[in-house]
Formats: sequence, C-alpha cells, structure tokens
Amino acid sequence: MSITPCHDSGCDWLSRQLFGLLALLAVFVLPGCATYSVGVAKVEQETSNRNLDGALKSLDKLKLTGADQMLYHLNKGTLLHYQGDYAASNQQFESAKSLTEKLSAISLKEQTGSVVVNDTMKAYEGTANEQLLIYAFEELNYLQSGNLDDAAVEARQFDIKQRLIAGNNRSAKYLSGAFVRYLNGMTYEEVGESDSARIDYRKAVDGYKAQSSITGFGVPAALQADLDRLENPQVKNRFAPAKKSSDVAMQSPDMINNGEVVFILHDGLGPTLAENIISIANPNPQHGTAIMSVAVPKFVQRPVPVARFELSEGSESATSELVEDVNAIARQSLNDRLPAITARAVARMVVKNAIARNAKNQNSNNGTGALLISIVTDVGAIVSERADTRSWSLLPGNFLMARLALPQGTHNLKVTYYDHSGNILATRDYNAVKVTAGRKAFVSDYYLGANK
Amino acid sequence: MTMKKNVWMMAAAVVAALMLASCSTEVKRIGVDEVKDISGTWNDTDSRLVSEEMIRDSLSAGWIDRYSLSLKKSPVVIVGSIRNLSQEHINTNTFVNDLERAFVNSGRVDVVASKSERGDIREERADMDLNATEASRKEMGKETGADYMLIGSINTIVDAEDSEQIRFYQVDLTLVSLADNRKVWTGQKKLKKDIKNAKFR
Repeated sequence: MSITPCHDSGCDWLSRQLFGLLALLAVFVLPGCATYSVGVAKVEQETSNRNLDGALKSLDKLKLTGADQMLYHLNKGTLLHYQGDYAASNQQFESAKSLTEKLSAISLKEQTGSVVVNDTMKAYEGTANEQLLIYAFEELNYLQSGNLDDAAVEARQFDIKQRLIAGNNRSAKYLSGAFVRYLNGMTYEEVGESDSARIDYRKAVDGYKAQSSITGFGVPAALQADLDRLENPQVKNRFAPAKKSSDVAMQSPDMINNGEVVFILHDGLGPTLAENIISIANPNPQHGTAIMSVAVPKFVQRPVPVARFELSEGSESATSELVEDVNAIARQSLNDRLPAITARAVARMVVKNAIARNAKNQNSNNGTGALLISIVTDVGAIVSERADTRSWSLLPGNFLMARLALPQGTHNLKVTYYDHSGNILATRDYNAVKVTAGRKAFVSDYYLGANK
Repeated sequence: MTMKKNVWMMAAAVVAALMLASCSTEVKRIGVDEVKDISGTWNDTDSRLVSEEMIRDSLSAGWIDRYSLSLKKSPVVIVGSIRNLSQEHINTNTFVNDLERAFVNSGRVDVVASKSERGDIREERADMDLNATEASRKEMGKETGADYMLIGSINTIVDAEDSEQIRFYQVDLTLVSLADNRKVWTGQKKLKKDIKNAKFR
C-alpha cells in the first residue's frame, strides 16, 4: 500500500490542517486519556472499599462527556445499582441505551478521526456483550424494586436487541446473552407468562451450550431444572430444587408456603484493556515519521476473588453457580475485533507517515523551521498513536447465582464467600428479606476484594 | 482602516451571537394535538389516538343503555390494572385518565376511586372520625361498590432488521362485570409504525 504525495494547493492545505490537528491532539487530548485511566482507578478503589458515595463523586469529577459519555452512564448506573438506588440507576442505563441507538449511525467525522488520529476519536458505544448486559442490570433493578411488569419490558427489549446483535455477528455464538435470557425466564415466570419463560429458558440453555467452549462451563443446574419443569407440565413444583451445600440432598419446597430467594453476586471487576504498541524505526525518516507505530488494545484479566458462595438461612442453604463469565466473553470479543482494529491501526500509520512526509517536504529548505517541523511531526505521530482501551470499567468479572427456597415470611440471610482455594473470604448478612409464597425475592451484591 | 476595524467587530459580534444562541435552551410551545415523532417510541400522539378511539367506542356501545334501562341507574366503573406487555416502558395512566374523565363528564357512567387511589381517601375518612365535626364527618362503610372493572393490556410486535423497525401496538380495554365476570364491552386500538434510523450522523 502506498500513498502518492500530492502537490496541488488543496492537498497542501489538507496536509497542514492534519499536521496541526496531530500536534494539537498530542498536547490537549492525550493528557486527557491519562486522567481518565487514573480517575477510573480511583472510582474502582472506592467501589472496592464500599465507599459508593465517594466513587460516585470521583466518577462525576472525571467529566466523561463527548466520546466518553457512554462510559459515564454505564459506570454510574452500576454504582447506583450497588447503592440500591434502582430508579436512578435505570435512568443512567436508559440514557446508555438511547446513546447506543444514536451511536449506531456512522459518523464520518469520527471514522476519519479514527484513521487519522486514533480509535479514541470514535464515541464509545460499548461492546456487543456490554450492550446486552445493560438489560441485565436494568431488569435486576426492576426485579429488586418489585416492579415486575417493567422487568418484563426489559426482557422483551432484550429479545429484540439480542436478535439484532446476533444477526450482525453471526459467527459469534457467545453473544447469545444466555445469562440475561436466564434472568428473563425468571421474570416471565414472575409475571405469569410461562410460555415466554419456557422459550427464554430454552434459549438460555442453548446459549450456555454454544458458549461453553469459550467460557468453560455449561448449563447451570437450576436453569436446566426450570426448563425441565416448564417443558414437562406434569412436574407441579413451581420452583427449581435448591441444592444443599452438599450438592446431593435436594429440597422439595412446598408450593403453597414457599417462595424463593435468588441471590446474584457481581464478582470482581471485569477485564481492562492495556495498550500494545509496536514501533519500528523508519529507514527513510526524512520522508515520513521517524518512528512508525501501531497501537492496539490487549486484554488484561483482573482477579475474580470469589470462586463460589453459600447462601443460607438457618439449616437451609444453597451453593452458587456461575451464570456469566464476563471475562471469557470479553476476551473472545476482543479477539474477534482485533483484525479490524489492527487493519485500521496500520492504515493510520500509513496516513500519518504520508502527512509527515508532505509536511517535511514542504519545509525542507526552511533551516531551523524544518528541524522544528520534523521534531513536532515525529512527536505528534508517536504520541497520537493510542489504542482504544476504554471499557465498562465497573462491570464484574463474572456473575454467580444461588437460589434458595424458603417459607413465606421475613428472613435473615447469610452469605459466605469462598476463594479459589476454598478459604472463607468473608461472610455478609442480608437481613429482613421478605419472601412471599409462590414468588421470587431478588437480592444482589458485589464483591471486589478480600475483606471488602 | 476604520472600516476594516468595523467589519471585524461586526463579524465578532455575529460569531458571539451565534455561539450564545447555540448555548441557550430553546423552548417552543406547540399544540397538544400536534404530531411530533422524535424517536419512534410510544408518545403523546399514540396515547391520544387510543383515548379518542376508546372514548368514542365505549360511550357509543350499548352496555351503558342496557344497564341503565334494566336497573334504572348509571353503571359504576372502577379502573383495574392495565398491563403493559409491550417492549417499551409505557405510562398507561394518560389514556386511562382520559377515559375516566369522559365517563364522568358524560353523566352516564359513575367512576369510583381505584385501588391505588382509595387508600388516601380512607385514611382521610379515618382522620375525620377523630378531628371533623359531627355534621361534616363522613362515615366509614358507605362507599359505592363498582359494577364493572376496567382492565386491559398493551401488546406489541416488533420486527427489526438493521436500522429499520416495524412496531405494531395493540391496546385492548375490557369492562368486566364484577357480579358475574361477563365482559360487557371490549375496545381495541391498533397502531403501526415504520421506524428507520439514520445510517449516518
């Protein structure tokens, strides 16, 4: 691939503008990227310390607007969900959804920016899996606030969105939204739409099977039990049997007196992206940039502290199951996007080289000016080459779920978290959880680190 | 020289005015009947179209006259639940309140407070027992029982591909006799929209 230098006045003007743009970006935009990374780390630290007010303030201070506005809505929605402010959380997620719709249209300005400067010039619209998980958060917000019909609205919206995403990513079987489908099935059962529940349980089962080669786990047992129950109407028990901690004894809940607690844990922090820069010296630096760089994102998995948890009340207990491996899906998603990202980065390198060559050629007889132009062009090209490392920072590494059938009444629950060696990380109490016969009570929490 | 300076000043003033204009919030009053679709989702026009259809149909159907002629009094209606079974968060109160208002203003149908409304009223009546004068106090146990309950649902079918969606809404309202579960009136309104999102922004 080669770019022929052009010598007409229009091209000279364009070249000067692009050169100026690069230099300006090097000065103004890139320090902003550093501030974002540092700021988000602070938000994560405060979230880990369960200082959610502080985390919200730190997030506001980041002033994530413009191309980063989506990140603000996603992270703020998550923090408000953790804080139990479900209505405010959903406002943020609704804004995120609206933005997704708006950003699905192509911006020629942003596309040009991504080829000339870097990929952060494009507005962040969230990865496909992040967009699917917005519905899980909103649905959970409605379920936890007892607003079942609105939770079902989310389930129906998700169905349309997931079909569109799957249609645009036909080979990406991991974008089945299996976890959200599972949640949808429970929601549909709560509002009395057992046919819709059965269909979503079936799609969830198929989704878990399709993504198992990536995530390394199959269909959650409780989900399979739900599907079996609805596909075999002779099974009268409304609830999936909760597993005892021994995983052997099965409860047989009384349909009339029992309800069920569904406890969902947001476990750890999801992946973050780092920068992978490949630089080579230009053998002919006076006719281009001195260093030719390509920056692409690389996957960085963060530790997921909780391997499993046990939900208990008195002598009754249930062990958690893994229901969504956010890390594995994000890794595969990046792998699938990487060829296009790399191709764009290479195209960018060629464009920057051509711009620098043109600028240097035009000023070659200008003594000190030529030297200055050369330095600024080279520095601008290197500094402006950045990978797009943005992601929904507060998304958990995975989701764990436990389901426990309990008699109608108010219950004090205990949840014990275990690490990957089987050691107890922490025990938390969840008091005054109201269980109604024949209904599900949804409870959720997050765990980011030891003793937190 | 002075003229050149003046031109620059005028240009600066125009630029400043344009910048300030784009920064300020613009509010323009529009008629409530004006159709303005922005995102393609359920909006005031959809609600109004449902109201108009339901009011016209419910007041012209024979159930009111049949009841009045046979029992020599107006039927009493209570609003039950209107379930949103669509894929959008839709506020059903707008057209239900329109229908309630039409019933009351027609003078042919009485409407009693719904389950969510009567809590406050009963609380006030209980408060009167303690604080109001004997003459003005309202007794418990004298509420008017409803003859019919208004129930309904909104359903949608969405067909979507790329940036185009066909959204079909069906709103069904039914009056059910509280005495024997008979459905004495069913109203229906269907709406269909073709939404094409921009491919470029």
